[in-house]
Amino acid sequence: MSSKDCVAMILAGGQGSRLGALTKKVAKPAVSFGGKYRIIDFPLSNCVHSGIDTVGVLTQYQPLELNTYIGNGNPWDLDRNHGGVYVLPPYQSAKAGEWYKGTANAIYQNLSFLDRFAPENVLILSGDHIYKMHYGKMLEEHIKSGAAATIAVMPVPWEEASRFGIMNVSEDGVITEFEEKPANPRSNLASMGIYIFSYPALRHYLEEDERDPASSNDFGKNIIPAMLSNGEKIMSYRFEGYWKDVGTIKSLWEANMDLIDTPPKFNINDNTWSIYSRNTALAPQYVGKNARIKDSTVTQGCVIYGDVIHSVIFSNVKIGENSKVIDSVVMPGAKIGKNTVINKAVIGPDAVIGDGVVIGAESDGENKYKSKLCTDGLVLIEGGTLVPDSTVVPKCSMVEAE
Amino acid sequence: MIDTMGIIIASNISIPPLTDFRSATALPIAGGYRIIDFVLSNMANAGLENIGVATEANYSSLMDHIKSGSPWDLNRKNRGLNILPPNIGNKNAFEFIRGDIDILAGIREFIHRSRETYVILSLGNNIYNIDFEAAVEAHKTNQADITIIYKNMSGMDQKDLSRYTLLELDEFNNVIDIEVCPYYPKTTLASTDVFIMERALLESIVDECSSRGNHDFIKDAIAKKMSGLIVRGYEYTGYTDKIDSMKSYYNNNMAFLNEDMQQDMLYSHPIYTKNKDQSPTHYGPDSQAVNSYIADGCVIEGTVINSVLSYGVTVKKGAVVKNSVLMQSDMIEEDVILEYVVLDKEVRVTAGRKLIGQENYPLPVAKGTVI
Repeated sequence: MSSKDCVAMILAGGQGSRLGALTKKVAKPAVSFGGKYRIIDFPLSNCVHSGIDTVGVLTQYQPLELNTYIGNGNPWDLDRNHGGVYVLPPYQSAKAGEWYKGTANAIYQNLSFLDRFAPENVLILSGDHIYKMHYGKMLEEHIKSGAAATIAVMPVPWEEASRFGIMNVSEDGVITEFEEKPANPRSNLASMGIYIFSYPALRHYLEEDERDPASSNDFGKNIIPAMLSNGEKIMSYRFEGYWKDVGTIKSLWEANMDLIDTPPKFNINDNTWSIYSRNTALAPQYVGKNARIKDSTVTQGCVIYGDVIHSVIFSNVKIGENSKVIDSVVMPGAKIGKNTVINKAVIGPDAVIGDGVVIGAESDGENKYKSKLCTDGLVLIEGGTLVPDSTVVPKCSMVEAE
Repeated sequence: MIDTMGIIIASNISIPPLTDFRSATALPIAGGYRIIDFVLSNMANAGLENIGVATEANYSSLMDHIKSGSPWDLNRKNRGLNILPPNIGNKNAFEFIRGDIDILAGIREFIHRSRETYVILSLGNNIYNIDFEAAVEAHKTNQADITIIYKNMSGMDQKDLSRYTLLELDEFNNVIDIEVCPYYPKTTLASTDVFIMERALLESIVDECSSRGNHDFIKDAIAKKMSGLIVRGYEYTGYTDKIDSMKSYYNNNMAFLNEDMQQDMLYSHPIYTKNKDQSPTHYGPDSQAVNSYIADGCVIEGTVINSVLSYGVTVKKGAVVKNSVLMQSDMIEEDVILEYVVLDKEVRVTAGRKLIGQENYPLPVAKGTVI
């Protein structure tokens, strides 16, 4: 086999427990996003637009949905004769068999996959970030600098810097120090969890790391610090643009809301950088005679009779007459009855909301649905839940399916 | 139904300016679809695995649409979907192709090499959602030589009926007479231009007609040979129409604003089409959309009423689009007023312009026009 300039590995095994009921049955990268996408569509589409045609997707938690979603990779143009997309679950070998212990261990267990393609560089990505990025430019810089690794960084507000992995860099962009969630940050350049390694260096440090039983086998905690302390050259690559980690219900909701302003904070209506997804073409959306839609996105297969204000409506959603959906995210196939009000909520896929329901009501006292994961007044309705007619669901609730 | 193959003859009906550069079969319809999607999806839904699309001219748009056939699950290792460009030897196409028999004669090899016993042949430019599996079963049960699928258009006025090929049936559903677009219609039974027969029979009809200088499948083959063959009618009761004029093109788009129509035509048996990877449609703060069928990728900041919008249409602030059909990537700038218009792809109507057609005379605008 001929060798590849760069092979991408997407870490898609995480449970994403802070997404609550949204990730009960699917891994975080398979969670619906932005009207007709899944989170993993973003790194996959970025790869193919960047000219990277060989991608490994490392799965572990609830992989079924993700496996069937990725399939042969055709929606992303990643069904290739040499390369393409591969789903890589943990496996049993002659000597041992174990789960992926950490991000670094997941790649370590798949070194034989990488060896098949003999790549010069390996791009490590997370399956839970929303952004558009040309990895090819980063790769070019990486190759030019001759560094062992290059890490994509972006400036974050100083007051939030202590929530991120912060890079201290010299004037020429060389990373001098890496601090995971520092109390007193000395820089506001945060790691985006996007790494390019020269393959020999990556192989070497992964093997070293595996020999250390005390290691938690994590790129941020172990591999990068080990490389820095050994004096390896690690470059930073500055990214300016929209990037969001959608690890919590609030951040997932916010990232959806970022699509609907005029002009949007994050523009996905971009024919030069289409986000691909596996969906069959459905009928156009039908907007009824008394419908009102403002500051929203609505997609194929929807039938809208009610009001949609400042919301993201996914495919095949039905919204009944006299209902109001405000500041909400309604995932694929959800059905909303008549005279229902939904305020600041995330409605999971295929949920059925009855008539006369109020979701996101002002709370007065006891709330049996209260959840710590639903901050900022948000309500989450699990996919497939049946919410009976006239139910009232107060703010900060998570309603799970029976 | 692995014993049945499909042949679709891409229609060359002329509906200027929409068909100036594309075959009528490739015309966009109902927001996100092309006319061929209906027959192709019906064939795919019936489990046909060998389908030939025979073209005559202007077929690049059609080829771009169906490509490998994957939306219909017809991208197969063997057979699947085959686009069959005209095969005219060393003759001049203009002189050579005078009827559908000539096109069929050009794909004789394809028909001959196929292995299926039966063939579903579609000659027209019609939309419908027919269960072809049931129709072929009926064809077999009836031991017919040829089955013609028809729809009873009772109640339609005479002038409209004259657009169709009309059948006369006896009490046993045998076709006893067939007339192509008669000025004085005798019946209301309109052919959908779909025929079921054995592949061997089709081969012999094509051979016999082309060797005798006959060109028309219905007039020369079916109508003349009917006495020696068992020709049966098979009734289809769902919606169907023939897209053969600007008026019927417009009316059939508007028909999709009816929800029963959407259900019948697009959901009862699914209709597939090419996935455009467009982002969801975006509605701005002052947008108003009422009773409209809107595909993905649109940006709506103005008003859209009783209209059908295809992919990627922009309607700017203050613009009003009413009772109109807009194709892909049209740009409607600020304060434009459109009523009863049909805009082909990539039309730009600059700020403040007014274009008004009439309900029975929609105003068409050619592809790429800037107004």
